[in-house]
Amino acid sequence: MNTPLLDVRGLSIRIAGTPRDLVEDVSFTLSAGETLCVVGESGCGKSLTALALMGLLASPPLKVTGGTATLDGQDLLTLPRDQLQSLRGRRMAMIFQEPMTSLNPALRIGDQIAETVQRHQGVSAKEARARALEMLKRVRIPAPESRLDAYPHNLSGGMRQRVMIAMGLANDPALLLADEPTTALDVTIQAQILDLMRSLQSESGSAMILITHDLGVVAEMADKVAVMYAGRIVEMGPAAQIFEDPQHPYTIGLMSSMPALGERTERLVTIPGVVPQANHMPAGCRFAERCPFADATCMKTPPMQDVSTNHHVACWHAPLEAQTEVRASA
Amino acid sequence: MTARDIILEAHGLKLHFTTAKPLFGKAKIIRAVDGVDLRIRRGETLAIVGESGCGKSTLARLLVRLFSPTEGSVTYDGQNIANKSEHDMRALRRDLQFIFQDPFSSLNPQMSVGALIEEPLRVHRIGTPAERRTKVAHLLSRVGLSPQIADRYPHEFSGGQRQRIGIARALASGPKVLIGDEPVSALDVSIQAQVVNILEDLKEEFGLTLVIIAHDLAVVRHMADRVAVMYLGEIVELASVDALFNAPRHPYTAALIAAIPVPHIGARVATAKLQGDPPNPIDLPTGCRFYPRCPHATDLCRSERPILTNSDHQVACHFADDLNLAGLSDNATARSPAAAARFDLYREARARKDKEAAT
Repeated sequence: MNTPLLDVRGLSIRIAGTPRDLVEDVSFTLSAGETLCVVGESGCGKSLTALALMGLLASPPLKVTGGTATLDGQDLLTLPRDQLQSLRGRRMAMIFQEPMTSLNPALRIGDQIAETVQRHQGVSAKEARARALEMLKRVRIPAPESRLDAYPHNLSGGMRQRVMIAMGLANDPALLLADEPTTALDVTIQAQILDLMRSLQSESGSAMILITHDLGVVAEMADKVAVMYAGRIVEMGPAAQIFEDPQHPYTIGLMSSMPALGERTERLVTIPGVVPQANHMPAGCRFAERCPFADATCMKTPPMQDVSTNHHVACWHAPLEAQTEVRASA
Repeated sequence: MTARDIILEAHGLKLHFTTAKPLFGKAKIIRAVDGVDLRIRRGETLAIVGESGCGKSTLARLLVRLFSPTEGSVTYDGQNIANKSEHDMRALRRDLQFIFQDPFSSLNPQMSVGALIEEPLRVHRIGTPAERRTKVAHLLSRVGLSPQIADRYPHEFSGGQRQRIGIARALASGPKVLIGDEPVSALDVSIQAQVVNILEDLKEEFGLTLVIIAHDLAVVRHMADRVAVMYLGEIVELASVDALFNAPRHPYTAALIAAIPVPHIGARVATAKLQGDPPNPIDLPTGCRFYPRCPHATDLCRSERPILTNSDHQVACHFADDLNLAGLSDNATARSPAAAARFDLYREARARKDKEAAT
């Protein structure tokens, strides 16, 4: 395999003055055209990871405490500000969850898209506007000519998210980060947007990191999946393996917490308790206090082990079958 | 079915809002709820689904008279509550309680958790102060919280815990009907599952009738006995949960179901059957309100408004009998054997842990 587009190794993030990292030892690679879905609940560090890659961490108090993240051979985490600025919006772009708060309400949408084109491609205002129009067409906004001069408040939530995508893709970035891009939208509009993102990605061949909490979205979009819990990746692998051969108790618990669409089950099998607070990250396996399989071994941090070539899990008890056999014979 | 089985009934319910009058021209009318007939059966869980702006939250508020309707009636216990005075309503509110979507803005930050849960008891003059305190402690433990937290304040709790406090408060007066406006949509997956289980347990224990407003169709599928689908202020389909998901009869319902992403690899891909956004309830199309987005629309749909049928599987579509619409297919839900085995292991381990904790 040739070198990956993005190579993140051991990324750690901490709030200054706290004893443990909020995001700890996160590693993954991503090749052109691939989609990585990062799944997890609020506070698991999935958004922080994306913000760190974009150089958008609120610093202070947040600080990258270790690791590297290489895009095009450059380490994003140590790049000087001006160089990072020329990468952002050109080689990598981000789509946020809230299309209303992430668009400038005082600027026409055509100008907002044109701004990033002018900034990075150094073209004339007229050419930039033509590019903005082309982008609005590509994200299938109806009557794009008249929408160029619309303000964000004139548009519906789904249309605003399309504008965000148009802006993100205006400079054909190699890497697109999307943080819960469809969470605020109705299910019918979500289907439209996911459809659009899929087809735009196959046209442009860019890589995508999609952050979501919805396993349904994951099953539809992902090539690879990283499941995060309390700042660590607990399981990572090809999407098919994560769904068909889930290994980590958290992955399994998360899946069984979701109501199935098919046969009606009696009761949902839940994960007890709540996610740990940022300033009370437990030592050892961070999931241990909520895990039904936890025992004394879990006081130590479990290393990533290979299930197969591409499928990794951080759990002392994986595979779980072996564990219960031991228990039964004891 | 006898009238006794119906606990809450809406008839010809309408609520129209008027926009501020612009400088020129006329003020516009928003038809948020536009002619809803609904009979809620005693002890059932009824879900109301639809896209944003379809009027589902407005309908929920009308059912408990948090809004007064423009037209129509809501009958509870043989009384029309649509035009009762606020004073007369107060006694009835003991029976009709509401859970709000946002656990952050629906609890008074200046009141302690205990005071919040006790307030409905005080208002309805139930019990002595000592009895009320015992009741508060009991309610807190019923929703899975420690009775010791009664002296703490809402800001000290997470979203899921606040939602449980909201549920405990709603249950305090001993309601017969509990209406939840998106009660679990603001919560994380693992917390959402806990709250769904709590609602189902409490429904059983207190003999409640539940009305759930939701946009997450997987949650609806799990909780509801019957489902009403709303579009632009009207109910377009109402049926038992299995009938609705397996064999929808309205094209809008079919499109909603097709748009659900299924959490299984190799399941069907969610399809965007609907293009465009929902039209707003100010400029309503004539005829069938769904026709501008409907793939099956004909001239008839443009000119004539379909009426909701009065049968077991109610539907408002001219072509409900002719269309062969796809529901959820079976392969949408099949789990691989390896995954199923792990799920069983997890369930057993959870049960074992719970048992250990109990002893």
